[in-house]
Amino acid sequence: MAKVSLKRLQKGKTGEKGSRDKFITLLLVVAVYGIVQLLVKTGHVSSLIQGLLVPMCVYSLVAIGLNLCVGFLGELSLGHAGFMCVGAFTGAFVSKVLRDSIGNDLVLFLVALLAGVAMAALFGFLIAIPVLRLKGDYLAIVTLAFGEIIKNIINVLYIAKDSNGYHAAFSDAKSMQLDEESTVWLINGAKGINRIANLSNFTIGIVLILLALIIVYNLVDSRSGRAIMAIRDNRIAAESVGLPITQYKLMTFTLSAAIAGAGGVLYAHNLSTVTATPTNFGYNMSILILVFVVLGGIGSLRGSMIAAVLLTLLPEVLRGMKDYRMLIYSIVLIAMMLFNWAPKSIAFRKQLAAKWKKQKTQEEA
Amino acid sequence: MALLEVHDIGISFGGLRAVDDFQISIEKGQLYGLIGPNGAGKTTVFNILTGVYTPDKGTILLDGQNITGKNTMEINRAGIARTFQNIRLFHLLSVLDNVKIGLHNQMQYSTLTGVLRLPRYYQVEKEMNERAMELLHVFELDDVADYQATNLPYGKQRKLEIARAMATNPKLLLLDEPAAGMNPNETKELMETIHFVREKFDMTILLIEHDMKLVSGICEQLTVLNFGQILCQGKTADVLHDPEVIKAYLGE
Ligand SMILES: Nc1ncnc2c1ncn2[C@@H]1O[C@H](COP(=O)(O)OP(=O)(O)OP(=O)(O)O)[C@@H](O)[C@H]1O
Ligand SMILES: [Mg+2]
Repeated sequence: MAKVSLKRLQKGKTGEKGSRDKFITLLLVVAVYGIVQLLVKTGHVSSLIQGLLVPMCVYSLVAIGLNLCVGFLGELSLGHAGFMCVGAFTGAFVSKVLRDSIGNDLVLFLVALLAGVAMAALFGFLIAIPVLRLKGDYLAIVTLAFGEIIKNIINVLYIAKDSNGYHAAFSDAKSMQLDEESTVWLINGAKGINRIANLSNFTIGIVLILLALIIVYNLVDSRSGRAIMAIRDNRIAAESVGLPITQYKLMTFTLSAAIAGAGGVLYAHNLSTVTATPTNFGYNMSILILVFVVLGGIGSLRGSMIAAVLLTLLPEVLRGMKDYRMLIYSIVLIAMMLFNWAPKSIAFRKQLAAKWKKQKTQEEA
Repeated sequence: MALLEVHDIGISFGGLRAVDDFQISIEKGQLYGLIGPNGAGKTTVFNILTGVYTPDKGTILLDGQNITGKNTMEINRAGIARTFQNIRLFHLLSVLDNVKIGLHNQMQYSTLTGVLRLPRYYQVEKEMNERAMELLHVFELDDVADYQATNLPYGKQRKLEIARAMATNPKLLLLDEPAAGMNPNETKELMETIHFVREKFDMTILLIEHDMKLVSGICEQLTVLNFGQILCQGKTADVLHDPEVIKAYLGE
């Protein structure tokens, strides 16, 4: 399987090893939430940025999921937009069907979330079974194909309800012979799912992020997490000490897909209509999320989130500067890359950290 | 019945008969040496014993249990642990974690227990830490427990590999050239450690070594491999005086 070269990438990176570091990340998320809420209340946040709050949570979530796969399991996936897509459509479908029977918005969202997460996990599991047993670059290729296939399948999937009950068709909507008067579309092919209840909000997004962070952090710092990282670091040695490789790979990949699915559910309920297009669920998106993970530092969840937030904000903030927008965007990408990975910058940051530590111990003494 | 009984195993790679008609019988508590020139097939024997390769003939019995054809994980659980000629540590993890991974099957709790941080998590983790530190102490690695494995000096990495293997609580320990790349001082110290491990844990050890002098010092039995075949087998003193062995080694 595609081993991401962690040796090279993590040299000098501390990641988030200490439990204090993890705590700081959680605290940071809560602090950002508090500050943003305050700014929104006092009217300091433009409606443009407000509209980006939920998407930023979505991408952070998916990036956390992908980082589990790439950073801790050491397997490259180019299909996480596919799992997000599965989560989005399953969640939106469920909330649309159950909207009349469940009155409470939060409960409705939770049910949709569970369904979306479960379905994404199922897909992750099914994809992983054949692929993770093999060696080589199969996972990257198959996940890439999976994402595209899912997107295309949804574009030709029709499910509707009329006075005669539920109907479903594949690629040919006419074959359902719907009673036009009473038709309610649940999934209308390339037109996707419309009139989705607006159940997502920034608070729910932050709660989901915190939950995902806690799950991944606790997993990584446990018996199973050590096994996962052992498999990443040296598969042959991991086998030699009796670790069940396939089992842990399946589990981790499934969890990673499930987290991406949660991101999808959040995404869908922030829109009134969700469609599967190349920009939102295509491989471009998968690669964008991989960019968040790599830029933020493989194995660093905090970094993934920061990268996701910055790179989501940037194009919108720069919207006024039309011609220079993509130029600045690329420069920031390169700058982040250098800041995170250049040996000199790593050494410099280490020095700073050491200095800071020394000062602190002096103060404490 | 010996702890390890190997009958007539063999394997080919393409046209090369890497190991043929290999047999060995190791009694419990023995320190046994497997020697031979470069490419003789020593590591291949280890790979067959640990299920990395499946032999095309022969049987392997560990403690009376037939383990032929089992995979590496099952064989480790059956009681064989090993180290590697080119060190294979979990290099990004700490020294302590490397040993704790060795304890994976010895001390257990479920993934959910870990994620939910149930009381059992804290209890088992504490036991694991204690047990791992004990082992690290034996190998004089307790003071570097929180180092990243990759940052250890070479000699300590080799020791850590042995500690990790010991953590799986094996019946038989296979060491593939543990002294490779060490200076004479480190080598001497390592041999003392191996000797100590054997005494303290009453461990049965099969040791691959290149250097005749080194093995003759600590092993009581030897098997000499040459071109995949057994050249000579028996008590160390007898093997060392075998004319065939002398010829093979002087002919190098
Ligand atoms: N997976 C493999 N595929 C093909 N040939 C192999 C394989 N593994 C080992 N060989 C060959 O089998 C022979 C025995 O190799 P092996 O590594 O067992 O030797 P060795 O006795 O351990 O040597 P050294 O002292 O150099 O470690 C060599 O000729 C080697 O090239
Ligand atoms: Mg060898």
